[in-house]
Amino acid sequence: MQDRLERDIQRLMAGNVPERYRANMSALSIDEQLALLRSEVALVGLGGLGGHVLELLVRAGVGSIVGCDGDVFEDSNLNRQLLADAQTVGTAKASAATRRVELVNPDIRFMALSAFLDEDRMREFFVGADVAVDALGGLADRPALLRAASDNDIPAVTAAVAGFSGYVATVLPGAPGPADLFGTGPADEDRLGVPGPAVAFAASVQAAEILRVLRGKEPRLAGRMLVFDLERMNVETVQL
Amino acid sequence: MKIELKLFATLDQYRPQDADAHPVEPGASAGDVADRLGIPREEIKLCFVNGVHAPLDVVLADGDRLGLFPAVGGG
Repeated sequence: MQDRLERDIQRLMAGNVPERYRANMSALSIDEQLALLRSEVALVGLGGLGGHVLELLVRAGVGSIVGCDGDVFEDSNLNRQLLADAQTVGTAKASAATRRVELVNPDIRFMALSAFLDEDRMREFFVGADVAVDALGGLADRPALLRAASDNDIPAVTAAVAGFSGYVATVLPGAPGPADLFGTGPADEDRLGVPGPAVAFAASVQAAEILRVLRGKEPRLAGRMLVFDLERMNVETVQL
Repeated sequence: MKIELKLFATLDQYRPQDADAHPVEPGASAGDVADRLGIPREEIKLCFVNGVHAPLDVVLADGDRLGLFPAVGGG
């Protein structure tokens, strides 16, 4: 039996844009929309960054997404995490993500693992994906994620926030990334917190970059970092 | 000569009033500027001048835009 994703792909190939993707045109061409539907993204973290990235990719029409997060929503997530609400606090982030995708775009294929992955499992998790997304919190696990993506020869789109400042970067296989600069010690968010606008901004930049990569376009942030400070309204791209 | 200073996240607490046109001595490095502002060097994880990653001992020129970025990991 043909599933909904296959049906959307057939329609687009015949030149009929499904109504849910109509407002993507002509920022995306039909061929680019098709490329998204045929793509797979592996998303590590379904919290602050991950919830917003997931929402944007699902609405854009990225055909296949796998997500993972072993965490459970807490009240302290409510300031910024799209999937955290009065009903999901106390429940697994992976389950909330699955329900959200069914609600927003049941045409796409989504699978979520309620687990924290070590480097070996991340390497397996990335098999078949076109892009890895670093939506982790904290510095500890980011280097492992970037190595696992590199081992699968796929780019990783990474981001982090502290207060109203943050960055987004794309790390190509084997290339150095922000994790190499920052180490795995304490970081500024311990003192400044993680406010919603900074998280949603970083996630939005990640999503835009991911959609470029999936459409076969050159990543804008490869070997670069977009750094921002939404308190000073300062945004700059830095060449690494 | 004067430079423009961009200090991110917790480094913003060291921001001088004249950050948009901050006076520096000719020959001063990015690290000298950080030292004078009392920014501990170990807190600076990324230094960039005019949008390009640079070491802290990079010598600054008039009109340079100096950015200093700490460790950031929230999500």
